[in-house]
Amino acid sequence: MVQNRNKLLDLFIGNIANAVVHRILERCIDNQEIAKRYVKESATSLEIAKRYREKINPTEDFLPVKDIDYIRTKIVNKVNSELIFRISKGYKGIDLDLVSKFADDALKEMKVAE
Amino acid sequence: MAFVLLRKITNIPMPDFIETFIYHYVILRNMELISTVSKGSRMDQIYIPKNRHGLSIGSYVVIKPLENAPEQAQEDGENKSKRYFYYNIDSIEPLKIRIINEIMFMLHKYLDSYDNILITGSFAENGFNFNDIDIVVVSSSNTEIKPIQAKIQERTGIKADIIVIANDALIEGLSTDPLYQMMLSKCIARERFIYKIKDRIDYKVLDLHLLKSKPLIDNFDVLNGGEKYHLTRNLAAIKLFLHSKKISKESVDREIKSIFSLKDIMEIKDNLLDKKRFIAKYKRVYDETFKMILAGINK
Repeated sequence: MVQNRNKLLDLFIGNIANAVVHRILERCIDNQEIAKRYVKESATSLEIAKRYREKINPTEDFLPVKDIDYIRTKIVNKVNSELIFRISKGYKGIDLDLVSKFADDALKEMKVAE
Repeated sequence: MAFVLLRKITNIPMPDFIETFIYHYVILRNMELISTVSKGSRMDQIYIPKNRHGLSIGSYVVIKPLENAPEQAQEDGENKSKRYFYYNIDSIEPLKIRIINEIMFMLHKYLDSYDNILITGSFAENGFNFNDIDIVVVSSSNTEIKPIQAKIQERTGIKADIIVIANDALIEGLSTDPLYQMMLSKCIARERFIYKIKDRIDYKVLDLHLLKSKPLIDNFDVLNGGEKYHLTRNLAAIKLFLHSKKISKESVDREIKSIFSLKDIMEIKDNLLDKKRFIAKYKRVYDETFKMILAGINK
């Protein structure tokens, strides 16, 4: 299936955002013994994100700064929106300060940014 | 042997049939050679001395690892007498029983302490449609699992996915997590277990679980049949759990067939779905389940 770059970027962003939400929610589980069982589950989204990353040029190098800024802003906004929605419903223990750091970590893992 | 020695010493003639009998049933049956496996370019090989008594060219031999041979023999005996507990498994292939014995023996040998060992996942299903063996070790001790996994793979040729969990955490998982319930609904256990557990809705755990199924909505085209099935199964298990229904692989598959009006669950695994229809139903069930989870937050 032929997909244009913007579409690929959006799908890529959606999966990274999902993985970041997952990582932040993992930290909210009260029982840490239980929480560590879920760590690898965020891997599903990251695995899918990797498939898109392999189609986004340059595949062997970091993306241009303009793209990085766009992707990072979109991820942070998406994650914040997901988490704030949960907080508004009464979800306790969500740390919004982690969003930027986790987004940066995920972008490094995906070789989008240094 | 005594006759051969006697003849050599005394030169007393011995009937041919006795000589043949001694050669085949005393010397050959007890003959053992120790050798190492050498690396070859196309095939590996085992070299044995040219000057030997027996094991003639073209004869069939049995090759066994020498390592821990006496212990293995003793343990094999123990394993034969050891009966495992099969939960919701009506029949199992004999070859799998041998694998189970092997794995139980190895874990028993290498683990310092444990309360139970459970073999679960696709291995416990009918047939040989499994890529690895899921093993749950119920133990409170911090055991390094990687070397044991490597040993199991080396011995059986099958990748073992082992998780170690304390009994309390397992009980907590079973009461709050539908996937734990599904996992233990069909398993082989070293020791008998009875868990009388009351379901408890933990919205944080369920929310996290549900999030795992979200990617299917936007990424239908890049997922293969197996991945689609796993994400759908996760969603259906959470839905059943929220409605306090019994969770097993069969009940979850039935729920999937009912939600998506499928004749056979293989339609998902074989990637034969009508994308538009499937996604519409999937999204509806996902949103309803998410709403139910969030509604539980303030209860």
